[in-house]
Amino acid sequence: MSPKLRRTILAWLVLSPLVVTTLFPYAVMLITALKPATEVLTPSWVPSRLAWENFVEMWEATGFGRALANSLYVSFLSTVIAILVAVPFAYALDRYRFTGRGWLRHFLLVTQMLSPIVLVIGLFRLAAALGLVDSVNSVVLVYGAFNIAFTVWMLQSYFATIPRDLEEAAWLEGASRTGALLRVFLPLALPAITVTAIFSFINAWNEFVIALTMLRRQESYTLPIQIFSQVAGRYTVEWHHVMAASLAATVPVAIVFSWLQRYLVRGLGLGAVK
Amino acid sequence: MRKTLGIMAGAALGVTFAGSLAVAATVRVTVAEYSSKTGPYFEAAAAAFEAANPGTDIQIEVVPWDVLLQKLTTDISAGTNADLAIIGTRWLVDFVEEGIAAPLDEYMDDAFRSRFFEVFLSPSVMNGETYGLPIAASARAMYYNRDLLEQAGFDAPPDTWEELAKTAAAVSALGEEVYGYGLQGKEIETDVYFYYAFWAYGGDLIEADGTSGLDTEAAYAAARLYKSMIDAGSTQPGVTAYTREDVQNLFKQGRVGMMITAPFLSAQIKEEAPGLPYGVARIPAGPGGERGTYGVTDSIIMFENSQNKDLAWKFLDMIFTTEWRARFTEGEGFLPVNKEVAAMPAFAENPDLKVFTALLPEARFAPVIRGWEEIAAITVNALQAIYLGEAGVEEALDGAAAKIDRVLGK
Amino acid sequence: MRRSSPLVPYLLVLPGFLLAAFIILWPLVQLGTIALSEVNRFGQLRGFAGLANFAAILEDPEFLAALWRTVIWTVGIVFGALLLSFPVALVLHQDFYGRGLARVIVMLPWAISITMTAIVWRWALNGESGLLNSGLRTLGLLDTNIQWLAQATTAFPVQILIGILVTVPFTVTIFLGGLSSIPEDLYEAATLEGASAFQAFREITFPLMLPFLNIAVVLNTIYVFNSFPIIWATTQGGPANSTDILVTYLYKLGFAYGKLGEASALSLIMFALLLMFTLLYVRLTARRGEDVA
Repeated sequence: MSPKLRRTILAWLVLSPLVVTTLFPYAVMLITALKPATEVLTPSWVPSRLAWENFVEMWEATGFGRALANSLYVSFLSTVIAILVAVPFAYALDRYRFTGRGWLRHFLLVTQMLSPIVLVIGLFRLAAALGLVDSVNSVVLVYGAFNIAFTVWMLQSYFATIPRDLEEAAWLEGASRTGALLRVFLPLALPAITVTAIFSFINAWNEFVIALTMLRRQESYTLPIQIFSQVAGRYTVEWHHVMAASLAATVPVAIVFSWLQRYLVRGLGLGAVK
Repeated sequence: MRKTLGIMAGAALGVTFAGSLAVAATVRVTVAEYSSKTGPYFEAAAAAFEAANPGTDIQIEVVPWDVLLQKLTTDISAGTNADLAIIGTRWLVDFVEEGIAAPLDEYMDDAFRSRFFEVFLSPSVMNGETYGLPIAASARAMYYNRDLLEQAGFDAPPDTWEELAKTAAAVSALGEEVYGYGLQGKEIETDVYFYYAFWAYGGDLIEADGTSGLDTEAAYAAARLYKSMIDAGSTQPGVTAYTREDVQNLFKQGRVGMMITAPFLSAQIKEEAPGLPYGVARIPAGPGGERGTYGVTDSIIMFENSQNKDLAWKFLDMIFTTEWRARFTEGEGFLPVNKEVAAMPAFAENPDLKVFTALLPEARFAPVIRGWEEIAAITVNALQAIYLGEAGVEEALDGAAAKIDRVLGK
Repeated sequence: MRRSSPLVPYLLVLPGFLLAAFIILWPLVQLGTIALSEVNRFGQLRGFAGLANFAAILEDPEFLAALWRTVIWTVGIVFGALLLSFPVALVLHQDFYGRGLARVIVMLPWAISITMTAIVWRWALNGESGLLNSGLRTLGLLDTNIQWLAQATTAFPVQILIGILVTVPFTVTIFLGGLSSIPEDLYEAATLEGASAFQAFREITFPLMLPFLNIAVVLNTIYVFNSFPIIWATTQGGPANSTDILVTYLYKLGFAYGKLGEASALSLIMFALLLMFTLLYVRLTARRGEDVA
């Protein structure tokens, strides 16, 4: 047996309890989503037949398409905002030594300390003062702001790995500081920015409490609250639709993860530690 | 950098302007989501209204029930509430005392008033003024599974709580996976599930002196009855894990002999378990022959700060016509609140609904007191402690009564 | 760095700082105002109340009980996640067949909102219709259905377990980042000097991983302390308040009972607790030579 094969067996053995518990909810989702409506309440692991039509019905019944569009819009725009402000922020924290730098890092940590549920009333009043209630744009702004700390930390740790010599060399060749930044630094940082952006996107994609408070008409609902509204206090819950919808909302993210996993490992946490 | 800032500021400004651009004649309606049919119903009503009244815009905001009170609170707190909203009538007193709900009497004439059954309209009347219209009404009755009761040797549903306990024990004895009485012990209306027995034993939520009635013999007797049924295995195991919906699910699967719930269960059974042999009966009586069902209405109110009261009223006027009421009531499985709707064959000849309507004279509504939700929570906590055996009946109920008295300011 | 005006870094951080401060500090000020006011059922201010709202919270026996449970909840999840994530990260750092797949699976809970995870678990934990009981029975691990959510003795541990599961992806990611930052030559040198694998772990891996451990503790504590959906979706803090933590208590206080003044006061108390914890932790670890954040 080759050493790698032995390592493989051992590794999967160690991971198996976690793998099983992690996959369990997904199995529950998948099985319930594929059960015919009359079998949903029976706790069997094998449906009598695979009711694929649940997904089609769910799309209609839960207004999935519109919520999907809203989620895409909110996640994309809030990511753009977070990245636009976080890139210079992280660049400054990494490349400059200035008074207040330590204070700013504490400030970022403090912004993470206030959970949305604690701030809900204040946030809502803010949106009301801006005339942004029920506008998906209010959610965009808030997500953008809450994602700043996270994106700055990630970006900063990536930026630290980009050697300064390259920029300095460009200055010696007569490039302006901005020129060096645009022509040398940014192209090198682009992969890092992409990965960070995807993270910010996923955070926004999954966010629940803020969207629940800010959005009021179903036309503006994002996916998590659209699905939640199927179970919250209705006289009867169509579990097969709910599970089909949750599954459908997860699959795109899971696919992105499978591509992302090799990148994300490098960066996260470093920026916050240094 | 300045460029980025400029873009950001520009975007923010653009957004603000877009937010404040609104049609002049707009009425916003906050609607509680009863089922998957609620949203489409109100959207259809809004579309019909807009077609009949060009230049108007009715905006329907559908909110899940569980977060309705939170939404209304944040909205009112920030001054961004809608023009009309559905609320639980049990919350209405808070809305009236804070001057948030507008009185509707100036819009209502006798013809309009006479559309309603008095019993459903009266809970929304306070200090002689009408503050809400009953949008949804319901009462509770006992559902029973004919097959299970027959197998256990009972031809008819129990008529007293004593009989119910016996019947439940016999049904539970039928098999491992079958339980006599479905007892709700979690989340919304857990307190009400106790009141059915409490009222039958002669109790009152608020005594004549304005204090809580939970520290009375009636309450002790009802709690003891439920606890003894739990201990005897006459209920499903782990009652504190069961919401109303969970118990209904057990009933639909034919695994529970009896349970008490609202008319909408009939509609669900028709769709999801059409073969289920069930019947609907009165809620059992106590030793003194008393019995009480829970009558509950949700009201649609108009906000005092609404800028478009006349138009909002016009919309209300439309959705309370017979045609629109019938569509709503049938879709959601509620009781008719309009007399003309009640007379329609679909309702008048429905045997299940007849039982519910017959119960209305003995219906009790949530008392007009502030802080209903907090009192309900205190009661539920005490009941859960009793059901779990963590506290004695008297100890738990006396403690709850003391806390409730403090909420009531007594 | 040369050729730069001292103002440049400030201009660079300004937009991000302003946005974060605007969205987060402004509501905080609002909270402070509400907490010091008499507030009606609907959050409308009705006059100055001094510290009455704070006093009402501190006098409420439910506050102390919820605070105690919050400590158990936070410590349980943060340490549970650490204990689980460290070996998992060590394994995932090895080279083995299917590592990519294993990493994706471990990350998977991150791909779905915690609220949805909690709703799925609520459904799976259902005593009679739930797939957990039926699965355990099929495997022969269980004779009769357990009503998992019926009492705190089973409900709270299960909730903590769910909390650990959703905290693992983030923690593992931090640790993997840390492991990949340890230069390979350190281990090579250690092997040359004849150190055992355990010695290498104790002398190299562990000390170099400490900063990452610290950041995981601080961030996870913050996130878990404020985590609402798991408990709310499964038990709403019941039965009989026995699974209430501070956030769920806060939510009931504010939105079910309509005591927004007290709820705001509680928010500020919670914020202060977290701030104190973080400062204390940073101080303690900084003294040992590591700097967190």
